[in-house]
Amino acid sequence: MKKLCDKVLEKIRKEKIEPKPRWHFLLKDYFVWLAFAVSAFVGALAFCVTLSIVVDNDWDIYRYLSMSPAKHILLSLPYLWIVVILLFLGLAFYNYKHTKGGYRHGTFVVLALSIAGSVVLGLVFHSLGMGRKIDRIFSQNLPFYQNVHCCCNRKDIWSQPEKGLLGGRILNVRLENGFDIEDFGGIIWQVEKNNETLIRGPVLIIENEEVKLIGEKRDERRFRAREIRPWSGK
Amino acid sequence: MLDKNDCQEKTDEELVRLALKNQDFFACLVERYEPKLMRYVRRISAATQEDAEDLLQEIFVKVYRNLNGFDPNLKFSSWIYRIAHNQVVSQWRKTKSRPQVLKFEADEDFLKFIASDVDLAGDTERKFSGEEVREFLKRLDKKYREVLVLKFLEEKDYQEISDILEKPLGTVATLINRAKKQFAKIVKEKKIKF
Repeated sequence: MKKLCDKVLEKIRKEKIEPKPRWHFLLKDYFVWLAFAVSAFVGALAFCVTLSIVVDNDWDIYRYLSMSPAKHILLSLPYLWIVVILLFLGLAFYNYKHTKGGYRHGTFVVLALSIAGSVVLGLVFHSLGMGRKIDRIFSQNLPFYQNVHCCCNRKDIWSQPEKGLLGGRILNVRLENGFDIEDFGGIIWQVEKNNETLIRGPVLIIENEEVKLIGEKRDERRFRAREIRPWSGK
Repeated sequence: MLDKNDCQEKTDEELVRLALKNQDFFACLVERYEPKLMRYVRRISAATQEDAEDLLQEIFVKVYRNLNGFDPNLKFSSWIYRIAHNQVVSQWRKTKSRPQVLKFEADEDFLKFIASDVDLAGDTERKFSGEEVREFLKRLDKKYREVLVLKFLEEKDYQEISDILEKPLGTVATLINRAKKQFAKIVKEKKIKF
């Protein structure tokens, strides 16, 4: 009766079995690490966009919307991006666990490090303004993005002049008294402002700038602004 | 053709390097690991002697195919056990639709090994049958059975078990603790005294 080692060698020779080349294993390792890095990177990007949306959101306007603060918060959260974060964190975790030594680290440690890594990298991206840029690019190029990324469409919220909320693009500036804007429905408004109008932070009252206005509707085409905010940022 | 002396003095890692250049050196690895892996495969699977031999042949062919994937940071024995374990699991998944009866080579020392580690109250000695040993192990969860076999029969340490099963060290320690507790509970329920 043949010994096992003879049978094994006979099979190897008969079927011309060769060891897989070293580069096969190296490539597999690199691919898994690359998949991990990409997942963590996208997760970090998603985090930075979420952060930008949350930071730029007007959490205080619930009063004008006749809404409780809790409801406003729930409607304002960027659920799409939260799902993207969770998805890519999950992918990063999965890919890390499939690296050569990934099994040595416990689930909690790997998850915690993935989250920490995404948060730190996300904060760096956020400080570079990448979150706002990505949000703007998506808004301009994806037709349903505004409707999908959170439960409330920001443009719809700022198209309620009867509630004191008006948003749009500045068309022309009339000396000190005000300016004209085109709202998101294409209607042109004359906006009045005075010395008591609060102009928030980095907003520029110049042509083509997008702004948000809090105030009151005077008539069908006139709006008095008590507060002017930049469309992005605060 | 190699003789015994060509193999005996060499470490596993040296044999791997040589086997990549000359297939005959792979025979040394097969001869060195055949008895251990045969016992291990029979302990964790429901294979007959013939099925175990076929399985072992597949395992060694797989080892040969993946020789370039051996990580020198691991012990070779951990790596080959890992392949054997994964191949048995893979085989079990293919055949799990068929009724399986766990067969266990009644190892007289098994319960003694584990009893010395588990706090089993008892003051009499009793001979246990292979049937009883099989019964105890059958009732254990699979994940507990495999760590007990590696720890108490294959005499692997925690790091080796971690590398074989590809689980973190902490998880291995927890599994072994739980396995011993579950085992003790099963034995006590049967009122077996050592």
